[in-house]
Amino acid sequence: MMRRRFLLTLVACALLAAGVASAKAQTQMPRINFRERTLKNGLHVLSVVDKSSPTVAINVWYHVGSKDDPDHRSGFAHLFEHIMFKSTRNMKAEMMDRLTEDVGGNNNAFTEDDVTVYYEVIPSNYLETLLWAEADRLSGLTVDEENFKSERAVVEEEYRQSVLAPPYGKFFYMLQQKSFSSHPYQRPTIGSIEDLDAATLENVQKFHATYYRPDNATLIVVGNFDPKQLDAWVDKYFGPIEKPNLPLPRVQTKEAERAGEKRFTEYGANVPLPGVGITYLVPSEKSEDAPVLTMLDVILSQGRSSRLYQSLIYQQQVAQSANANADLKEDAGLFDLTAIVAAGKKPEDAEAALRAEIKKLQDEPISAAELEKAKNQIITSQLRQRETNLGKSQSLGSATVLLGDPNRVNTELERLQAVTAADVQRVAKKYFTDQNRYVFFYLPESMRPASASARVQAKGDVK
Amino acid sequence: MIRSTTIRNGMLALLPFAILLLTVCVPAQTPQATPPPPTAPRTVQFPRPVEKTLSNGLRVVVVQRSEMPLVSAQLLIKSGGEVDPTELSGVADMTAALLTRGTKTRTATQIAEQIEALGGSIASSAGWDSSGATVGVTTARINSAVEILADVIRNPAFKDEEIERLRRQYLNNLKVSMGQPGSIARFAAARLVYRDAPYGHLLSGTPESLPRIKRDDIVRIHDQFYRPDNAILVIGGDMTAENGFALAQKYFGDWAKPATDLPKMSVGIPVSDTKNRRIVVIDMPDAGQAAVLAARTGINRGSPDYFRGIVSNAVLSGYSGRLNWEIRVKRGLSYGAGSTLDTRRWAGSFSASAQTKNDSGAEVASLTLGEISKLATGDLPDKELTTRKASLNGNFARGLETTSGLVTQVSSLAIYGVNFDQLNQFVGNVQAVRAEDVKDFAAEHLNIDSTSMIVVGDARKFLPALQKQFPQVEVIPVGELDLNTASLRRAVSKN
Repeated sequence: MMRRRFLLTLVACALLAAGVASAKAQTQMPRINFRERTLKNGLHVLSVVDKSSPTVAINVWYHVGSKDDPDHRSGFAHLFEHIMFKSTRNMKAEMMDRLTEDVGGNNNAFTEDDVTVYYEVIPSNYLETLLWAEADRLSGLTVDEENFKSERAVVEEEYRQSVLAPPYGKFFYMLQQKSFSSHPYQRPTIGSIEDLDAATLENVQKFHATYYRPDNATLIVVGNFDPKQLDAWVDKYFGPIEKPNLPLPRVQTKEAERAGEKRFTEYGANVPLPGVGITYLVPSEKSEDAPVLTMLDVILSQGRSSRLYQSLIYQQQVAQSANANADLKEDAGLFDLTAIVAAGKKPEDAEAALRAEIKKLQDEPISAAELEKAKNQIITSQLRQRETNLGKSQSLGSATVLLGDPNRVNTELERLQAVTAADVQRVAKKYFTDQNRYVFFYLPESMRPASASARVQAKGDVK
Repeated sequence: MIRSTTIRNGMLALLPFAILLLTVCVPAQTPQATPPPPTAPRTVQFPRPVEKTLSNGLRVVVVQRSEMPLVSAQLLIKSGGEVDPTELSGVADMTAALLTRGTKTRTATQIAEQIEALGGSIASSAGWDSSGATVGVTTARINSAVEILADVIRNPAFKDEEIERLRRQYLNNLKVSMGQPGSIARFAAARLVYRDAPYGHLLSGTPESLPRIKRDDIVRIHDQFYRPDNAILVIGGDMTAENGFALAQKYFGDWAKPATDLPKMSVGIPVSDTKNRRIVVIDMPDAGQAAVLAARTGINRGSPDYFRGIVSNAVLSGYSGRLNWEIRVKRGLSYGAGSTLDTRRWAGSFSASAQTKNDSGAEVASLTLGEISKLATGDLPDKELTTRKASLNGNFARGLETTSGLVTQVSSLAIYGVNFDQLNQFVGNVQAVRAEDVKDFAAEHLNIDSTSMIVVGDARKFLPALQKQFPQVEVIPVGELDLNTASLRRAVSKN
C-alpha cells in the first residue's frame, strides 16, 4: 500500500470558486488571486500574497512521477525524490533541513504517479534563502555513493512499513498492480525491493538531466511577501538555469479498455479479516466526467450517512470498513471500492453488497437532497484545504500541473456544483459495467483451498 | 478523494502545517555559493480565548479567527478512559462513541444525515482524561450543528441494538490493530508503564472486556460524568465571543446540574524504577517489520517540569532530532524514529519508537536507549538546542493555523486547567529552557535503567542479538499475549 493522502486537496477536481455555492449553501468560497509568469527558460511561476500569518509556503512541482520510472526500476522516481535532499552543488546533505526545520519551518515532498512535489513552510523572512536552495537543487545533484545507499535503505524501510508490516499493505499494492494491463500506472509508486536494489548513481544523474529542468517545473509561492521582491529573487536564482536542448520524454502508452471481468485472489500470512476490492477503469482527470466521478466518491463514502457506510457497515454489518475512491490521474484513472469483511461474514457477501450499491446508482437517480449534501461536503472540505498557505499552494499546483490551467483553482467548484442527478446516473452506467470490472479477494492463508496450498508447499521446497 | 502518494517523511506529513518566527543566522557570502541570509523576522500573535461559566457550571470558551467561514465546536467531559472499571476497559469510549448513535428523538442515521447535509461532520470518542463530541461546519450552519451537539451529549438513547453493533465494530477493529506490530507494541507498552493502574488498559477495550460491557455500565458512566459542572464547551473559528456565549446559553443553559457530587477521583501511578523495568519480545513470526518501543513513566501535565520536558523530547524527536538522525538519516535503519512525552492529568509517559526490518530489531533497540541515555550524560551544544527549540515552536504555531487545530489546542489547555495565556507564552517558555535543564530533566525522568523495552516482530531474526544486550529478555508468543494484565501473559488454561 502506498501512503495515501487525503486529497480533496491535491486534487484534481474539487477545487473551488468564488461564491459558487447554491443559494441554500450561502457560503462563499474565497477566490485565490494568483499572479502568473513564465521565465525565458520555461519555469512557470505562480504566487499568492496572503499576509494573515508571518509565513510563506513554497512548492516546486516537477511534472514527472512514478509512471516515468526507468525500465526495471520501479520505485525510482520516489527514491529520486528522497535523493533530492542529499548534496547539491552548494548544499551538503540535509542542508534543506537546516534551512527549514532549524529555523522553525518544515519541509517534505511526495511522489505520485504523475508528479513529484517538494515543499517548505518557513518564516517569511527566509523566502529568499529557500528560493536559492530550490534553484540550487534544480541546477544539479552531487550525491555520493554512501549517501545514496543509506537513503535507498530508508526507502526500503518505507516499503516494509507501508507494504509488508500493515495487514492490508499487500492488498492495496495488488489493487494498483493488477488494475492496469499496459500503462506504467501498474507500477506502485513505492516500487519493489529488487528494483530499488538495482538502482545506481548513474540512474540518478540521468533522471535529473532528463526531467529536472526549468521547463518541466512549476514554482508556487503563497504567503507573506512583496511581489516585486519575489520576482527579482526568482529572476536572480532561477533565471540563469538553462533549458536543456534534449526532448522531454512523455509516456505514450495508452491503457486499453478492459475486455471483460477479471478476478484475482491472493493469500497472506497476516490477514486478520478478508479484504475485497473492485476496480473500474475510468478516464483522465481532465475528462468531462471527472467531477461526476468525484461526486460519486463522496456519495458512496464520505461520512456515516454515505451509501457504503449505511449499507455495508450499519445495516448489513458485512464490513469492518468500506470505501470508495475516485483515484483520478493524468492519463487514466481507477474508481475503487474496497471493504474489509466483518468477522463471521464471507467475502462474497461483501462483494455482493458493493455491487448492489453500484446497481442502485445505475437504476435510480439520486435525490436532490443527497446531491445537495455531497456538494455541501465538498465545499467544507475545500474551505478546510484553504485554511493554510500550504493548502492553497497545493490546490494551485494541482490545478496548474494536473489540470493544465491555474484558473481551474477558481472554476473547478463550479463544475462540481453543476453536476446533476442525471449525470451521476449516466456516469455510473457508463463506467461501472460488468466488462470493466476487476474483482480482488485478499484472504488469510487459512482460507487457501487444500490443493492450492499443496502447490505452494512444493514451490517452497524448490527454494 | 484519495490519491496514491509516497512521501519523504511520513511522520512530518501527519503534522498540521504552518507558522514561525525564530531567526538563526545563516552566514552569507557570494549569493550563488551560500544561502542568502534571512530578512527581518515578523512576529505573530495567536488569538486569545475568552470564557465564561454558565449558572449550571458549564465552562464556555470562544476563540475567534474569522479568515475562513468555518466553525468547530467541541463539548468535552473532563473524564475519559481512566474511569473505566478494571474489568470493563473500553466502557468510557463506548459511551462516548454511542452519543452519536442515537438520541431520544434522532436515530444514528438521522444524526449523520442531518449534520452531513450541512456539509459538516460530527465525531465522538473518549481519550484519556476527557471524552466528548465535536462538530465542524461552515459558519452559516453553526446553529443547527450546536443544536445536534447538545442533543447527542444530553439525550443519548444507548439503544441495545446500537450497543451490539458498536461492540462488533470494536471487536473487528481490534482484530485489524492486532495485525500491526506497531499497534501491538503501543498496547503492550501501556501495561509496562502503568501496569494495573488506570491508563494501563486499552482505551477501546479488549476481546475479553468488550463482551462484558452491559447497557447499565454505559448509562452509569453517562449519569456520573456527563454533567455541566464536569464539562467545557469550546467554540473556535469564525464566531464572536458574544455569539458563542449566546449559542451556549441557548442549547446548554437549561442542562441541569445533578444534586449529587461529582465522583472524586485520585489515581496513584507507579513510577518506573529499575525493579519493575522489563525487556519484552512479542513474537509475531509473520511480521513484515519489527516495532521497537522504549517506554517509561514521565511527568503529568501540571508538572513544573513541563517545558523542560517538551524541550528535552524535542532534542530527541522530530526529523532532525537525535533518534531520527541516528536511526534513519545516518544508518538507513528505519523510515522514521521519534519519541513522545505524553502528559496526562495524573501521570504521563515517555516513549521512543521506530519500525525496522526484523534483522535490525536489536540494533535499533540499542541505538534508541543509547540516545536517551546520552541526553543526561552527553553534551548538548547551544547550536543544537537553539535549532530544536525553533522546530518545537514552529510545530506549535503550525498546529494553530487551522480552525480544528486551534480548537484542539485550546481544549487541551482547558481540560488540564492551564491558563490560556500559555498560548502566547509558549514560545518564551520554550526559549527559557537551558542545556542544563535538559540534562537535569533527563537525569531525573529518563533514566534508561528504569526504562522498559518492547520489540514486536519475528523473534528468530533479532532475539539472539537482543539477548546479548539484555539477558533478562522475556519472550511472549503473540498468541499468548494478554493485554488485560500487567504480566501480559495469558494464564495457562487447565483444560
